[in-house]
Amino acid sequence: MKTEAVRGHLDGLLLAVLEPGPLHGYAIITAVQERSGGALELRTGTVYPALKRLERLGLLAGDWQSTGERRRRCYTLTDAGRRTLAEERTAWREFTEAIGAVLDTPARPARIRPAT
Amino acid sequence: MSDGSDLSDGSDKSGGNDMRDRCDTGGSNRQHPHPHPPPHPDPLVAYTEALGAALLGPARAKTRMLAEIHDGLLDATDAYVQEGLPRTEAAHRAVRDFGPVAVLAPECQRELTVAQTRHTACAAALCAPFLLVCWALARTAVGPSAAPLALLATVSTLLAAFTLATTGGVLARRFPVPRTLPRMVAWTGTGASVGMAVAALALACTAFMTAQWPLLAPAGALAAVSHAVLSTSARVSRRRLAPAAALSEREPGSLTG
Repeated sequence: MKTEAVRGHLDGLLLAVLEPGPLHGYAIITAVQERSGGALELRTGTVYPALKRLERLGLLAGDWQSTGERRRRCYTLTDAGRRTLAEERTAWREFTEAIGAVLDTPARPARIRPAT
Repeated sequence: MSDGSDLSDGSDKSGGNDMRDRCDTGGSNRQHPHPHPPPHPDPLVAYTEALGAALLGPARAKTRMLAEIHDGLLDATDAYVQEGLPRTEAAHRAVRDFGPVAVLAPECQRELTVAQTRHTACAAALCAPFLLVCWALARTAVGPSAAPLALLATVSTLLAAFTLATTGGVLARRFPVPRTLPRMVAWTGTGASVGMAVAALALACTAFMTAQWPLLAPAGALAAVSHAVLSTSARVSRRRLAPAAALSEREPGSLTG
């Protein structure tokens, strides 16, 4: 999927990969890419401001942690984040079912009205 | 991870220069008297510096954001090195994956603009009580003509509360950040800081003329200090107003709004 298509769903993807547990920025990026089987094209830099926005909205909680010589900001899904993720999943299923219902329905032969 | 266009235009050097050009024309009217220094030989540092040059915002928030992005680039480089790439090539590839600075900067600037707006709103909220004290003192000295101070304090407080509520937490999840909010906060903060300056001057004069030192002189000092805090924040916030145009009504990728 192209970058622009992924961008519209970035928040949901980030919340989803944080559901099992806290991750830092780059681990979040690799988790999205691994879970999508490498099918999602992601400008990885845009993940960081998106994480900041989700933190400001109270959907994630950020915390600096030291791993070896490096400090990394780890993000945890908050209760509000879990609720939002559940809502996003429901909305996505309804959306794909509706689109799928239209796309997958075999086209009926066009009725040609005889000219009078 | 990048598409073809990234490979062609997303290198650290071209991305950085593109971004500086873009910001000089679109993000700010200020002219830099000195030419830009040459990019840092380390591609990761060069990318972070180019991004930093393109961003305006509270120093602490900006430093943290850049540090996190630099750490992310280091992680990405390490991952490519583990796959067997030479470090320099790994660093260039990490930079390419991150995307051009011209793409990343508006996303970062949107958050920094919100951070600056919240910062100014906090300053306004903290200074409003001083404005009310000034109004109470000035009313006894100059009568009803002190009313604008009370009005300014009320408007500042209400707008500050509205700003803090709509840019973070529950309300921000339900409603998008109003497009004009950063501008409103900047100018209300400016109004409040001017009010503080007027109050400080009026109180100092009144104290001098009426010799009510114990009561009025500390109030004047308080007004002067709070004016200094708020005016700095409001001035910085006004300088960020051009990037505030990038604060779209519906944020990209947002789940709400």
